[in-house]
Amino acid sequence: MMNAIKVERIADGVYFNSVRDSRFKTMRITANLILPLCAETASENALLAGVLTRSCRAYPDFTALSRRLAYLYGADLSFAVHKIGDRQLISITVSGLDDRYALGDESVARELSLLLCCAIFEPNFNADGLFVASDVEQERRQLLDTIEAEFNDKRLYANARMISEMCSGECYGVRRFGTAEQVAAVTAEQLVEAWKRMLKTSQVQIMYIGDSSPDRVKEVFSDAFAKIERQPSEIVSTASYDVAGVMEFGDEMELSQSKLVMGFRTGISGDADEVNRARLMCAVLGGTVSSKLFLNVREKQSLCYYCASRYDRQKGIMVVDSGVENANLERTRDAILKEIEDMKNGVISDFELESAKLAVINSFRSSNDTVGGIESWYSSQLFDKNYLSIEQLSDSVDAVTKDEVVEAAKMLKLDTVYMLRGTGVSE
Amino acid sequence: MKITEIKSDALGDSYKRIEHPSGLTIYVYPKEGYNSAYAIIGTKYGSINTCFSLDGGEKITVPDGIAHYLEHKLFESEDGDAFARYAQTGANANAYTSFEKTCYLFSCTDRFEDSLEILLDFVQSPYFTAETVAKEQGIIGQEIKMYDDSPDWRVMFNMLEKMYHRHPVRIDIAGTVESIAEITAEKLYQCYNTFYNLNNMALCVAGNVTAEQVVSICDRMLKPCEKHEITNYFEDEPYEIVEPYVEQDFSVAMPMFNLGFKERAERELNVNELAETEILLSMLASPTAPLYRELMDNNLINSSFSYELFEGPGYCAVIFGGESRAPKQAAEMIKEYIEKVRKEGLDPEDFEIAKRSAYGDNVSSLNNVSSIANNIMSYHFNGNELFSYLDAIGSVTLEDVSRRLGEILNVENCTLSVVKNAEQEV
Repeated sequence: MMNAIKVERIADGVYFNSVRDSRFKTMRITANLILPLCAETASENALLAGVLTRSCRAYPDFTALSRRLAYLYGADLSFAVHKIGDRQLISITVSGLDDRYALGDESVARELSLLLCCAIFEPNFNADGLFVASDVEQERRQLLDTIEAEFNDKRLYANARMISEMCSGECYGVRRFGTAEQVAAVTAEQLVEAWKRMLKTSQVQIMYIGDSSPDRVKEVFSDAFAKIERQPSEIVSTASYDVAGVMEFGDEMELSQSKLVMGFRTGISGDADEVNRARLMCAVLGGTVSSKLFLNVREKQSLCYYCASRYDRQKGIMVVDSGVENANLERTRDAILKEIEDMKNGVISDFELESAKLAVINSFRSSNDTVGGIESWYSSQLFDKNYLSIEQLSDSVDAVTKDEVVEAAKMLKLDTVYMLRGTGVSE
Repeated sequence: MKITEIKSDALGDSYKRIEHPSGLTIYVYPKEGYNSAYAIIGTKYGSINTCFSLDGGEKITVPDGIAHYLEHKLFESEDGDAFARYAQTGANANAYTSFEKTCYLFSCTDRFEDSLEILLDFVQSPYFTAETVAKEQGIIGQEIKMYDDSPDWRVMFNMLEKMYHRHPVRIDIAGTVESIAEITAEKLYQCYNTFYNLNNMALCVAGNVTAEQVVSICDRMLKPCEKHEITNYFEDEPYEIVEPYVEQDFSVAMPMFNLGFKERAERELNVNELAETEILLSMLASPTAPLYRELMDNNLINSSFSYELFEGPGYCAVIFGGESRAPKQAAEMIKEYIEKVRKEGLDPEDFEIAKRSAYGDNVSSLNNVSSIANNIMSYHFNGNELFSYLDAIGSVTLEDVSRRLGEILNVENCTLSVVKNAEQEV
C-alpha cells in the first residue's frame, strides 16, 4: 500500500503536500514553481533557477554552500526545469540523510528545509539589490553549455528537433530552457523581475517525503509565503489534434548511425480513463521488450538496437524513435507504420495486451519503493483533478479492454517524420 | 549449506550470505515494507576475458565482444525467448556486460518466485545455433554504431587505448562489427561452458523477499556444478602509459575530455584502500574542493565535470572528465593542483567534510534495491563486502588518505583524451 498524501493549502495558490514514510534512509523536499511556458520568459526563468541554487544569503558563495551540503552528510540542493504541457516547471530540491542516521544530534531535515527556503526567498543580492554578477555569469555559462550539450546526445537531439518543428506554432514548441540567444541576453534587472514574478504569480506545489513530521517544514514555508503578496496566474494547457498533412524533414550529419523520429497526435489528454487507454496502447506498441516494435522491428527484422514509443499525456502526443542504418530509414518507418496499422485493425494478441498491462502496473508499483519514485508519482498528477494512488491507477489500467486499445490506436494521426541522416564518421 | 548473517549495527540492516551446495553463492537482503524485489545473477566473466584455459588445458583465444554477444543470445532458448516468459509475470528484465562481469537481472512487484525460476532457468539453458547467432549481428551492429556516435564513450576508449599497451580493457566491450562477425555458436558454447559455472557466479536478491523463499527456489532450479579451475591470461602490462595525449574530431558542440592516471594493478584494492581513495578524490575534485572552484572560475569545466576510480582485474586508473572549452588547460590545472597538495599536505577540515559526505552517500545508496544488489555483486567479485566498506569509511584517518595520495596520481603517468569539433582549437 502506498502511504497517502496529505494536501494543505498554506497560501493563495501554494500547497504543501506531504507523504510520511519510515522505510527510507533519506528525506526529500521539492518546491515546484509552475509558470506559463512562453518564448519571452522561458530562458530567464531557467537561468533564475540556476542562480538561486548557486548561493544564498546564509552561504553567499558556491564553495561555502557546497561545503555546507557535504558537511550535512553529502546532502543535495539542485534544480530542474521541465516542460509539462504548456507549463514551465521549475523544481528546487533538497535531499539528504534522514535524522535517524545522523552521527551527531543535529536534525538534517530541519537544516535542509531552512536551506531550501533561504535559496528561494533570500537570494545573495549585492548592494544594488541585484544577484551577484559572478554567480549570474557562472550560471549563464552552465546553462549555455547544457543547451549546447544537448547536441552531443544524438537521440535526445533528434527527438527535440522533431518536437520543435512539430509544435512550432504552439507554446509546446518552446524549449524548456528557451534559446541560447535569450539566455545570453538576460540582464541582471530582468532576473530580479523574474524572481519577484515567480514568487508572486507561480502556482506552488511543495512536496515533502520523509520519516519525520513535516509540520516544521510546512511552517518554514508558510512563514516565508506569508510575507509575499500573491497573485497566482491561471495556466491553460491545450492538446492540439489538428494535423494538416504529414510533414517530413531531415538533416545530415557525420554519424555512423541515422536517427528516425516520428510524432503522432492522439487528441487524448486530461481524462484519466482515456489517458490510461492511450498509455496502454503506447505500451503495446513500443513500451516494453514484449511490444510490437521490439519483437517485430528489432527482433524479427534486426533493423535496430532500439525502437520505442512514448506517450506524453499532457499534450496527447506519442513519439516513436529508432537508430538505424542510413539505407534502412524508409524501411524502418514503413515497418513502424505497419505495426500501427495492425493495431488499428485489431491485430492485438492477448499476450501483447496482458504483458503490456503487467509491465505498466509493475512500473507503477515499483515507484513506491524509492523516495524519488513517490515524489514523481504524485508530481505527475499535479495537474489532474485529484491524486490517485498506485492501486487506483493500476486497477484502472487493468480494466482496459482490447477494443479500447484499438479505439485509442485509431485516434493516432501521424504529424511529423524527422530523419537525421548519418553520412559516416571520418577516421 | 553454510548461511552467514552479515549485520550493520550502525544501520540496523542485515543480509544473508548462503553457500549453496550447487556451487552458487547467494545473497539475500530483505527490505521490509517494500513492494518490489530485485534479483541479479552474475558471472565473473566480462569483455576482458578473451584468453583463458580450463583445468590447465589448452589456451583458448576468442573474438573481442563475445561476452556481450553471449549475454544477448542467452535470452533465447529452444522453446522461445526469456523476455516472452517474463512478460507473463510482469517483471522488468534486463542484462549488462561490463569489463569484468556479465549480469542478468529483473525487478518485480508480483510473482517473484516465477520470475526467479525464469532467470535461473534461462541462465542455465544455453541454446545457440548458426541461425540465431546470425540474427543478432544486425542488432549488435547497431548497438556498436550507436556507441560510435557517443562522444563520452569514444573519449573514454580513446584514452584507454593510449593508456594500456596490451590489457583488453582497451577494447570496446561490444567488440567491433568485424570481430563479432567471427563469433560462432561453437565459440559461444566454449565461453559458456567455461564461465557460466555456478562456482564462478553469484545471485543477489534485495526487496520484499526472505532467504528461505530464495533458497527453496534455488534448491529446485540449480543444477549442481563441479568446480573447475579457470585461468585467465593477460599479457604483461607495463606500469607506463602508451601516449600522454590523443584527440579525435567528432560531431560535438563542445570538446570533451578524460584525463586518466594509470595506477598499479597487481592486485585489486581492499575496502580500506577503496574508502581512502573515495575520500581523497572527493577532497581533491568534488564541488567542495578549491580545485573545482578554480577550474570553474577559469571557465575550464562546467557542471558535467566528474571523477571516478576505474578498477578491475589487471587495470586501475583515476579518471577526471567532462566538457571543456580548453581541455589541455583543464588537465594542466588538475595536475598542478595534485602536485601542490602533495607538497603542502591535505587540509583536516576538508577531510572531515569529505568523510561525512562519503558516509551519507553510502548510507543513502541502501535505499534502493537495485543499488544494494548490484553493489553486493561487485564487492563479491573483488573479494570485498558491503558493510565492511561502510565501516572502512568510518575508520579512515587523515594520515591514511595522505599515504594514499603518495601512492597514486602520478602526474607523469597520465593520458589526456579529447574529442572535439574539427574547427575547434584546444
